[in-house]
Amino acid sequence: MELYKYLPKTNCKLCGKPTCMAFALDLLQGKAKVDECTPLLEPKFNTQYNTLKELLGAEEGQQKELKINVDTDLCDGCGICVTVCPVNARYCPPTLSGKAPDYPPEKHQLFQVKEGKCELLEIKHCRRLDFEGRERECRVCETYCPRDAVKIEYV
Amino acid sequence: MEFILNTARMVDNDQAKEFIFGNEITLEQKLAIAFLNAKDFEKLKLKPNLNLKISNQNGEITVKALIDEDVPQRTVLMPVSIWSNQLVSIVNEEINYKNIKVNLESTSNSIIKFKELLNRIKGNK
Amino acid sequence: MKRIPCSGCSLLCDDVIIRSDGIYIDEVIGACIKGKERFDQTTAKNRIINPMIRKNGELQKVSWDEALDKTLKIIKNTSNPLLYGFSTVSCEAQLKGIELARMINGFIDSNSTICQGRLLNKAKETGITLTTITEIINKGDLIILWGANAAESIPRLLNKILFSRGKFRMTGREIKTLIIIDPVKTASFGVMGVRDIALIIEPNKDLDLIRILKEECCKADSIPSEGVAGIDKDDLKRLLLHLTGAENGVIFAGQGLLNSDLGSDVLKEFLELIQMINLKQEKGRISVILMGGHYNMTGFEHVALSAVGKNHSLQFSNGEFVDTEKTIISKIESEDFDSSIIVGTDPISHLAKRLSSKLAKKPLILIDNRNSSTLNIADVVLPTALTGIECEGLAYRLDHVPIELQKIINPPNKVPSDEELLEKIIHKLKT
Repeated sequence: MELYKYLPKTNCKLCGKPTCMAFALDLLQGKAKVDECTPLLEPKFNTQYNTLKELLGAEEGQQKELKINVDTDLCDGCGICVTVCPVNARYCPPTLSGKAPDYPPEKHQLFQVKEGKCELLEIKHCRRLDFEGRERECRVCETYCPRDAVKIEYV
Repeated sequence: MEFILNTARMVDNDQAKEFIFGNEITLEQKLAIAFLNAKDFEKLKLKPNLNLKISNQNGEITVKALIDEDVPQRTVLMPVSIWSNQLVSIVNEEINYKNIKVNLESTSNSIIKFKELLNRIKGNK
Repeated sequence: MKRIPCSGCSLLCDDVIIRSDGIYIDEVIGACIKGKERFDQTTAKNRIINPMIRKNGELQKVSWDEALDKTLKIIKNTSNPLLYGFSTVSCEAQLKGIELARMINGFIDSNSTICQGRLLNKAKETGITLTTITEIINKGDLIILWGANAAESIPRLLNKILFSRGKFRMTGREIKTLIIIDPVKTASFGVMGVRDIALIIEPNKDLDLIRILKEECCKADSIPSEGVAGIDKDDLKRLLLHLTGAENGVIFAGQGLLNSDLGSDVLKEFLELIQMINLKQEKGRISVILMGGHYNMTGFEHVALSAVGKNHSLQFSNGEFVDTEKTIISKIESEDFDSSIIVGTDPISHLAKRLSSKLAKKPLILIDNRNSSTLNIADVVLPTALTGIECEGLAYRLDHVPIELQKIINPPNKVPSDEELLEKIIHKLKT
C-alpha cells in the first residue's frame, strides 16, 4: 500500500474513517480527497502532502472500479486462489483428497478453474467491496499466487 | 568458461506437450534454450544474434541463450529435453541429470536441429 | 457432469468435473493445465491411431494383422529381449507385461529405476516412514521441499497440502510451516509467508547439509560459525528445531536430492538422518514422499512385488524368475540384449546419448499413442487407448494409495487398451 506510507498513521478519525488504512483505500478508489485529512495540511507534513498529490495526480477524487486481472499466459491452473479466497470457502464438499468447490458454482463463488486456467466468475462478493474494516484489505489471491498471475487494480 | 548445468521440468517448456500438439518448429523454439544470469551473459559476450555452444566429454549442442535473474552465477538452466540429455553423464550405473560440468562459449553457428540429433543417435554421418 | 480422477500426473486428483456426452469431452473444470492437456490428447492432431511399420526407412500405415505378424517375427527371432516403460499404463497392463516377459525370457523394468525407485531401493537397508496426502491435509504441520519444484512439476500439490482446509487443521495455511531447500529460486518460493524459511543451498552440497544435521542431532553446538553449504548458522538451528519439534512433518524428496553428489551414499545418509530424528522425537514423526512424474510409476513397484517378490529389474530365464544384479542401464551399456519393447515412454529422449545410441541399433517395438523421438527410430508402432479417459484401470498415487480410473468416451478407430493388446500378443505366441 504505497499511499498509506505518507499518512500520519495516528487513526485520529478526523476524516470520518475508522483508520488511516481505510482512508488510504478510499483515496485509491477515488472516494476521498487528500485535503480531507486535516492533520496533513499542517506544515510538518508538507512533503508527504505534496507526494500524495503527485502520486494521485489528476485521478484524485475520480471514482475507480475494482478489477482483478488474471494473466492467462502465466496461470497454470494450480487453484490456490480458488482455495484460499475466504468467500469461496463457504461451501466445499469433501472428496478423497481434501475439500473442493462444488459445481455448478455456488452464487457467491469468485474464482473457478476452467479448461486449465483460472477465471473470475463475478466480483460482486469480493471482500474488498462487501465489507468495511480489516476485511477490506484482503489481498490473499494476489499474495499467494506462485506465478504472480493475479493482480488487483483500481481503474 | 566452466559452468554447472542443471536440467529441470518447466510447465511452459514441456517436450511431451510440443510432441502432441506442436510441430518441429515449436519444439525447437521452446526446448532448445538455456537460461543464464545477466552478468554471465555479458562475460560470455553474448548478443541477440549469437547462440550458445555447450560441450563436455559426452557431447556438444548449440542452443539459444536467454536471461533469467533467478539463476545464480556460474549455473546454466535448461528444460528437460533431448537437447539437454546429450550432455548427461553416467556415474556408478546411475544417470546424472543435475550438477553436470560443462564448458560454455558464444558462437555464430545456428541452433542444432531435431533431425540432426536423431542422426547422431542413429550413428549416421 | 460427473467427478472423475484425472490421469495427468502422479497426484491423481479425484475432484475434477467433466461434462461429456459420451462421444466428445465438452468441458473440464478443476483440473490444472497438465490435466487439461491430458484430456486434450484425445483429439490432438499428432495422435497415432493406426499401426505402422518401417519400410525403406519410412513409417507406413498397415493393417493390424500385418503389424502383429511383424511383431511376432521380431520376438521369435530374439532370445534376450528388453521390456521398458510401463509407467503410463494401468496396473492390469503391467501384470500382462510381466507375463509376457516370463514367456519370452526377457528383462522387464519401469521408469522408476532412473527416478524415484532409487530411494525406495536404498530404503531396504535403512527403513523408511511413508505417509499419505490426506494425513498431511488433516494433521500435518511441517512441509519441506528438498530439491523439488512442486509449482512446475505437480501444480496442484501446494494447493492441496498447504491451503486446503482439513478436519483438524481448519485454517490450512496459518498452521503449517513451509521450508524449501533449493539452489535456484524457483516458482514454488512464491507461496511463502512470513513464518516460512527459504534455504538457498550451494549446488551439489546436499551431503554436507545432511552430515552436519546428523552431527548436531548427536552433539549440540557442532555447527561452524560460518555455516555449511551456503546456509548460515541461525537458519540451520531453526531447521533442526522444526525437524525435531514437528508433530507430523513430511519431506518431499525430488530429483534435486536424488541426483546430488552421485557416486557417494547420499540417499542412505538421508534416510539414516530421518530415522535418527524419529528416534529422538517424543510424540511426532517425519515422513518421506517421493515426487513421481508419470501417473502410475508407483504401481509397477506394487505389481512386481506381488507377482515375483522384487520391485525392479526382473529377469526371466526358461520361464522362471532368476535373481540378478544387472540393471537396465548396465544391460544397455554392455549391449546385453538383442531387441526391445518400449511401452508408453520415450527413452531416446530421456536416456543419455551413450545408451540411446545403443538402443537404436537393435530392433525396437513401440506401444504408444503419440509422436516422440522413439517413434522416429522404431521399427513397429502399435497404438493404444488412453487409460483414464478411453479405458479403465487401476493406478497408484504418489503416496501409494490405489485409485480406480474410469472410462468416459470410446477410443477412436477402435484401438485396443494396453491390457488387451498385450493379451493379444501373448495369445498369438501360445498358438
